[in-house]
Amino acid sequence: MTQHTSGSGKMVLVLTLIAALSGAILAAWDSYTAPKITYHREQALLVAISQVLPAHDSTRTVVRNGQTFYEAFAGDSLVGVGFQALGNGFQGQIRMMLGMTPDLESITGLEILEQVETPGLGTKIVHDPSQRSEPEWFTNQFNGLLPRPELTVIKNATPTHSNEIQAITGATISSQAVVRILNQQIESARQAFRTGSGVVHG
Amino acid sequence: MSTQSPASSKGKSKLQEPENLLILASSPHLHTTTSTQSIMWQVVLALLPATAMAIYYFRWPAVVIILTSVITAVLTEAIINRLKGETPTITDGSAVITGLLLALTLPPTFSIGGTILGAVVAIGIGKQLFGGLGYNIFNPALLGRAFLQASFPIGMTTWSVPATLAGSAVDGLSGATPLGLYKFEHALTGYADLFVGNVGGSLGETSALAILIGGIYLLIRRFADWRIPVSYLGGVIVIGGIFWAFSPDQFPDPVFHLLSGGLMLGAFFMATDMVTSPITRLATWIYGIGMALILVIIRLFGGLPEGVMYSILLMNAVTPLLNRYTRPKIFGEVQS
Amino acid sequence: MAKKQISIWQEIVKGLWRENPVLATLLGLCPTLAVTNTAVNGLAMGLATSFVLLSSSLFISILRHFIPHQVRIASYIVIIAAFVTVADRFLAGFFPVISQSLGPYVPLIVVNCLILGRQEAFSSKNKIGRSLLDGIGMGLGFSLVLIALGMVRELLGSGSIFGITLLGEWFEPWMVMILPPGAFLTLGFFIAIANWINDRRATA
Repeated sequence: MTQHTSGSGKMVLVLTLIAALSGAILAAWDSYTAPKITYHREQALLVAISQVLPAHDSTRTVVRNGQTFYEAFAGDSLVGVGFQALGNGFQGQIRMMLGMTPDLESITGLEILEQVETPGLGTKIVHDPSQRSEPEWFTNQFNGLLPRPELTVIKNATPTHSNEIQAITGATISSQAVVRILNQQIESARQAFRTGSGVVHG
Repeated sequence: MSTQSPASSKGKSKLQEPENLLILASSPHLHTTTSTQSIMWQVVLALLPATAMAIYYFRWPAVVIILTSVITAVLTEAIINRLKGETPTITDGSAVITGLLLALTLPPTFSIGGTILGAVVAIGIGKQLFGGLGYNIFNPALLGRAFLQASFPIGMTTWSVPATLAGSAVDGLSGATPLGLYKFEHALTGYADLFVGNVGGSLGETSALAILIGGIYLLIRRFADWRIPVSYLGGVIVIGGIFWAFSPDQFPDPVFHLLSGGLMLGAFFMATDMVTSPITRLATWIYGIGMALILVIIRLFGGLPEGVMYSILLMNAVTPLLNRYTRPKIFGEVQS
Repeated sequence: MAKKQISIWQEIVKGLWRENPVLATLLGLCPTLAVTNTAVNGLAMGLATSFVLLSSSLFISILRHFIPHQVRIASYIVIIAAFVTVADRFLAGFFPVISQSLGPYVPLIVVNCLILGRQEAFSSKNKIGRSLLDGIGMGLGFSLVLIALGMVRELLGSGSIFGITLLGEWFEPWMVMILPPGAFLTLGFFIAIANWINDRRATA
């Protein structure tokens, strides 16, 4: 191997050139991909919003007391309010989109946007392959629930009250985490939504 | 397996690394006159009371699981012997023990397919892949169980009540274990039921009485080092007792710790596995207390209700290190 | 390094078996173990790594006479990092689902020893053509092992391959296979089988 030592001037020059070239490539590539990435993110959010809220024909984004709400309208009347709920699951953050009636009393739907739970166990909060007829049974059971005073988790039994959620067998901690996050976020959302006027975005 | 030739210790190299490693690999039962074979069958004998109680409490499912596990373990051993071109080792009884111990740690409702998989993993990966009897780092039966626990977390934690309790009003169809009841519902189980084994749990772990009979036989015949159960169980009593003394409402008492779960079975029959437990006395005490510490931490603060399996496997892993650091001084050792 | 040059064909094929990055030199094990819980993930990670490897090899081989010896590693890393970012943004922009399931492991290609290793050991000393062939072979060898690992783990851990369910309801998935221990076990068996085949060849 030929080893020749170079002066520090050349080293600086070459490194600078390489870094500048890489930077230029990245800048060009970013301007091409960034809109696509943003588009996918917004699309995922929009899909989630439309899934958790009752039938509607328009939505708008409102910020109240620093929290973002997605309001769904059928004609002129407000039919549902969606917001993101974020908190710690078993292994990492769980990010969800929760839809509720405008009085924030009844749940209209729940979608899990991001999670890093244990594969095959905690991931059943999103998709449970063992329930082939209804793999999304866990999130589906939130539909129509009344979190008053708050949601509770029960094990190995069919829920009988309108605030009960059945835990996933083998993933009790993930099930409880979802419910705990929702309880906290519903409470703070109620306060943020009911007090103060909103700033409408887009 | 003579690992120290007199010539090498007289040579100019005094106790170099490779030599030390070989000492570690030597089996502890070399100096006894009893053959491996006879010890192993004695252990099977000592396991019979627990096996009998398993069948008494859980009936046919227990018989099926035990037979499946033992037969699969022996067959796996024979097939691997054959593939490796070795003389068959199935008559030494060690595969029977592994199969039997694995079965005794499984829930009564566990599937036959899962049992077969567990026995194949226990013998194939846990024992033969490391080189066969005497070379395995981890207790093979527990390794098989750990594989099953990770593979079928639901099947491995679904319990049924003993046949003696069926029909009574205890907790409907799915019986939770006393530890599970304590962890998730904070309910205690009576000592009498715990002692005779009239509770939910793995096949062979419920009856402390049956395990004690076999375990004490092993200790009297000196097939197991008494220091291991004493330090393990004693450690659990002391460490569990400290937590209980500070907050009796929050933590279970030491007797409950002792009688519930797989602690007795683990302490007498798995932690004492000659291959995977330490040789020196000091190391043995550290080994037992280490297991006790891990067990209590898992039981009180872990996500799982029971921690006997992981406590033993984790201490198995550090056994070579314990042996190394507690090795007695050797005469004539020269500082290099 | 007065080694006689091997044939062009050999330059590609060596990465598939004899110098396979995963089975023979055990390079780049982090993504190998972390993302191969499904065949699709293995394929995506294999392709992303191959892209970075190939582009970096090309550039570094071109620039090999200009880069001063003292700053070569820094230069390699800057170039590799640039291509990793390109790959990461590409996946996020065009395959958001795969991008999400690979998580942080695409950015982590930067520290994949396989890539830096090939630059240091090969591209920095060889002509452009040969560096490209080396990159193709190594990338292909890496990808094939990752796909195979993903297929085995997905089949046993989820009962499917490439998302197509193959094992019926009678099969209870071995959850351990899609968890980290399953990755280590499967890789261990792969390497054992590779060594066994090599041994048999050597004695035959």
